[in-house]
Amino acid sequence: MNMYLSIVLGLIGIVVGFLAQRSRMCFVAGFRDYLLVRDKELLLGLFTFLVTIWMLTSILYSMNILKKGIPEYGDIVVKSQVEIAMIGLNIRSLKVLGDGSGISSLMNNFIILSLGGGWLMGILSTFVGGCVLRQHVLFAQGNMDSLYYIIGFYSAVLVYYNVLARFLVTLY
Amino acid sequence: MRRWNLKPWLFGIITGIMFVFAEVIFNLYPPTAYSFCLTCHARDFVNTIVNLIFKTNYQTTFLARRVLMTTSLCVMIGAFIAARIFNEYRVKRGTHPVLFFATGFIIMITGIVIFGCPTRIVIRSGYGDVYGIVALIGIFLGVLSGTVFLKLLSKMNS
Repeated sequence: MNMYLSIVLGLIGIVVGFLAQRSRMCFVAGFRDYLLVRDKELLLGLFTFLVTIWMLTSILYSMNILKKGIPEYGDIVVKSQVEIAMIGLNIRSLKVLGDGSGISSLMNNFIILSLGGGWLMGILSTFVGGCVLRQHVLFAQGNMDSLYYIIGFYSAVLVYYNVLARFLVTLY
Repeated sequence: MRRWNLKPWLFGIITGIMFVFAEVIFNLYPPTAYSFCLTCHARDFVNTIVNLIFKTNYQTTFLARRVLMTTSLCVMIGAFIAARIFNEYRVKRGTHPVLFFATGFIIMITGIVIFGCPTRIVIRSGYGDVYGIVALIGIFLGVLSGTVFLKLLSKMNS
């Protein structure tokens, strides 16, 4: 275990937490405030974040410093292994990006999953008043509603990997 | 101390530069676009600790086999330090415990299936992932439905 990189990730977390508390930033409240009261401040924050990352990664891709790859597998090769250990299932060839043979191979189950999953995250986040980052910051400010959010957040990992994984994996 | 606020677009620029250069300099490579995510890092943290204590073999990503991901814990620590310094720490009682618990539960499960929390979805869209852009459109449609629903609810009550 590399302790040096753990400390680096921890420092990134502390800086992001400090800045997010000072600027009241939330990625879902950008859309919500614009639709309700036409307030453009947080939406501008979201767009500068997106545009900054887009510009920097375009420059670094062309200089061959940053490597391209599929998120969560990190490899341009399509086949990957996802092991679910309690059950011992081995799902090979999870073709997330298709065969590489044009744009029609991108249209598989994962686009509908992304759209539906994003819709669910958006509607639930407006009911509780913020995205995931904002709920962490609100809990640190002393709001005890967000304590229940965080408890549900961390206990869902254990429940997912013990009970729900074998059912939800068939969606891919 | 005197109040010192930050504009949101400054937050966007500072954290955007920080995430991309952290990936390049420190080689956080096998999942790409992985310098900041609150669902994925929390999943890796919990699974690493459970694997160490109970000697099981739950799924973690390739990066989590060499690094302990303490991101989500340190976000809470950093925000707590900021709230204490500027005197904004105030304990408010909870009003709807069951709603918040169920929402956190469902958002974590959805995040594991989609490969990202809302922050990482924006990062993936910047990196050029088609599925990230589709999920961002989905978040926008979800917020639209949520505001329409809340307006209808307030009209019915008044």
